[in-house]
Amino acid sequence: MAITGQIALTVLMGLFLVGVAAWLARVENWRSYTPVGGGATGGETAYGSDEKPAGLIRWLTTVDHKDIGLLYGAFGITAFVVGGLMVMVMRLELFDPEMTLISNTYYNSLLTSHGITMLFLFGTPIIAAFANYFVPLLIGADDMAFPRINAIAFWLLPPGALLIWAGFLPIPGVIPAQTGWTMYTPLSAGVGSGNQANAGVDLMLLGLHLTGVSATMGAINFIATIFTERGENVSWANLDIFSWTILTQSGLILFAFPLLGSAIVMLLLDRNFGTAFFINGGSPILWQHLFWFFGHPEVYILVLPPMGLVSLILPRFSGRRLFGFKFVVYSTLAIGVLSFGVWAHHMFATGIDPRLRSSFMAVSLAIAIPSAVKTFNWITTMWNGRLRLTTPMLFCIGFVQNFIIGGVTGVFLASIPVDLVLHDTYYVVGHFHYIVMGAITFAGMAGLYYWFPVFAGRMYQRRLGKIHFWLWLVGSNITFLAMILLGYGGMPRRYATYLPQFATLHQVATLGALVMFVGGLVWVYNFVVSWLEGPRVEDADPWNLKQSGLRTNEWAWFERKRETALADGGDEEALADGGDPVDEE
Amino acid sequence: MDENPGISDQYRTASPWPVFVALGIPVSEVGLLFGLFPVAVGGLVLFCGSAAGMAEEAGYVERPWGALGVFAALCLVLGLAVTLVAGQPVRGYATVAAGVLLLAGGVVGRLFVTEAQPAI
Ligand code: HEM
Ligand SMILES: [Cu+2]
Repeated sequence: MAITGQIALTVLMGLFLVGVAAWLARVENWRSYTPVGGGATGGETAYGSDEKPAGLIRWLTTVDHKDIGLLYGAFGITAFVVGGLMVMVMRLELFDPEMTLISNTYYNSLLTSHGITMLFLFGTPIIAAFANYFVPLLIGADDMAFPRINAIAFWLLPPGALLIWAGFLPIPGVIPAQTGWTMYTPLSAGVGSGNQANAGVDLMLLGLHLTGVSATMGAINFIATIFTERGENVSWANLDIFSWTILTQSGLILFAFPLLGSAIVMLLLDRNFGTAFFINGGSPILWQHLFWFFGHPEVYILVLPPMGLVSLILPRFSGRRLFGFKFVVYSTLAIGVLSFGVWAHHMFATGIDPRLRSSFMAVSLAIAIPSAVKTFNWITTMWNGRLRLTTPMLFCIGFVQNFIIGGVTGVFLASIPVDLVLHDTYYVVGHFHYIVMGAITFAGMAGLYYWFPVFAGRMYQRRLGKIHFWLWLVGSNITFLAMILLGYGGMPRRYATYLPQFATLHQVATLGALVMFVGGLVWVYNFVVSWLEGPRVEDADPWNLKQSGLRTNEWAWFERKRETALADGGDEEALADGGDPVDEE
Repeated sequence: MDENPGISDQYRTASPWPVFVALGIPVSEVGLLFGLFPVAVGGLVLFCGSAAGMAEEAGYVERPWGALGVFAALCLVLGLAVTLVAGQPVRGYATVAAGVLLLAGGVVGRLFVTEAQPAI
């Protein structure tokens, strides 16, 4: 690099560090730094909540699990909007067979970024949002076991996102990655006549690495929290279902993400330092093994907590307890273990040893069993129940419906002969979108609507919530069913153009996507407006859970919080004679 | 609303360090991967410095200076290894330079900063 460039960079870096130091000095002072001195409670300095700083600084410095949950939520929703807009451009391009709206390479870039954004910047973080906010409340913990690690895990995400999207930013000489989310070598190693040796791919890999570090830190934290911070009356026997799925998910993350991190480092070394893991005489198939050893557990990392959300929310609106609670827990654990033994079902068509193939086929078929157990449990929970079709409940039922289609199509793919025909067609795209959009995102929405009163203190507009649900249910089934049919017809995945015979079904799929897009607009509008000026929640039990004896700890916390807030002279109601007892603290 | 006491509010609820620990990781990664000397040095100093500050705040260490020394030693060893064994002088020297800065910070802190003053 030119010497002036070096000097400029050095000066910039130096100024930045001095700025950081100055800011830290100010913040530390301002926070009325009382030396702990004789504080008997070893370790933590007991800062009261009123010492939470105000404004932007509060959000930059918070280590409170609820705040961090909100940050995760805001981040995840932003990423969801970005990834959604990306796919809308792609679906519009696919409205006709030719290359019309965008270039083929730009399509490939969007495709890559859409997948990575949705899985790593929306899926994992939105789950972490619920887990951060509610696991400590559900298990009666004061906070997460390591509050600062928790904050670090979150703050790794925005730089990670920036690096992942760096190729789209106007940085000279940097282009977006076009490797697909699976980053198969040798393409992703940058060899050959393509342009994937570009620094944009390195930046994306670094960003992905960061999100992996973040997920791992979060997982360690959740495991420690659930093991050591449970309240006195929360035992393993009565641990709620959502915390069970978070615990299992964290275990999966602990084994899967560091492996992805190592594989990414190996790939970066191959790309930049001439090592020979995957190219230069190394094995491109090794990448697929490493990637899918992470990748298949990753899909369960994404689906188990949403299953937990559904298992938690669906019974509240069925007026009964979750049917076969124990078996739901067992099947969660079973899926957790089995998910590490199925990765090669993504590689049936690569020419690996046929004997290996059939063992992976057997385990893949077996993993459908615990999934089916859960499905039957949800259905049985609703059976003869007193159903209340609120928006969160509708999303839960939508989850079950879409999960059944997604799961059944998965079982077919797990069968080698079928997979050899359908591999790399739109059938696979249909299969996993039924699950990632139809199930996981639906469950996320169920959670967002269900707890909206808790974190907003206000209620959303119910009618808009239902409109959102129906637009999404109809839209997703139109789009993803069309994809399954396209796959039967032999339409290969990951192409910006196609033969004219596929036009009709592609147009149907685009139509469904537009329906979902409208649903998304309704959702954003509803959430923004209701957050700002929705009717305030009058009652700490907005879903009438007490009545059926189904109230969980977080609502009890909500009630206590509201009572103390009012007694403290909270916003509106002026309490004439402060007669209310405030001994909860 | 959240400022009101709930059960999880007995802990202190703010810390300035995590943001900078988190920022230090990508900055140093980018610097080291692309061989950008100043970026690598700055990122490593930011990461190690904030981690030391956080260790003090959380009560794992009494003062941050010793922790800075430990980070400095790690950087020096790693930097030399990268230079000599892996044959990557720019990246290696960047790591060594970060180690030297951290060591200097630790020494200055120990000698000149009086107690009861907030660590920087
Ligand atoms: C019911 C159990 C399931 C079975 C037996 C199953 C089976 C399969 C198989 C065999 C493939 C490979 C298809 C191919 O590329 O030829 C596949 C792909 C995929 N599945 Fe599933 N699946 C199941 C559940 C899930 C779940 C729960 C998720 C998500 C949370 C999921 C997400 C995916 C994804 C993302 C892909 C595509 C990966 C790619 O980009 O190539 N599957 N599934
Ligand atoms: Cu799989």
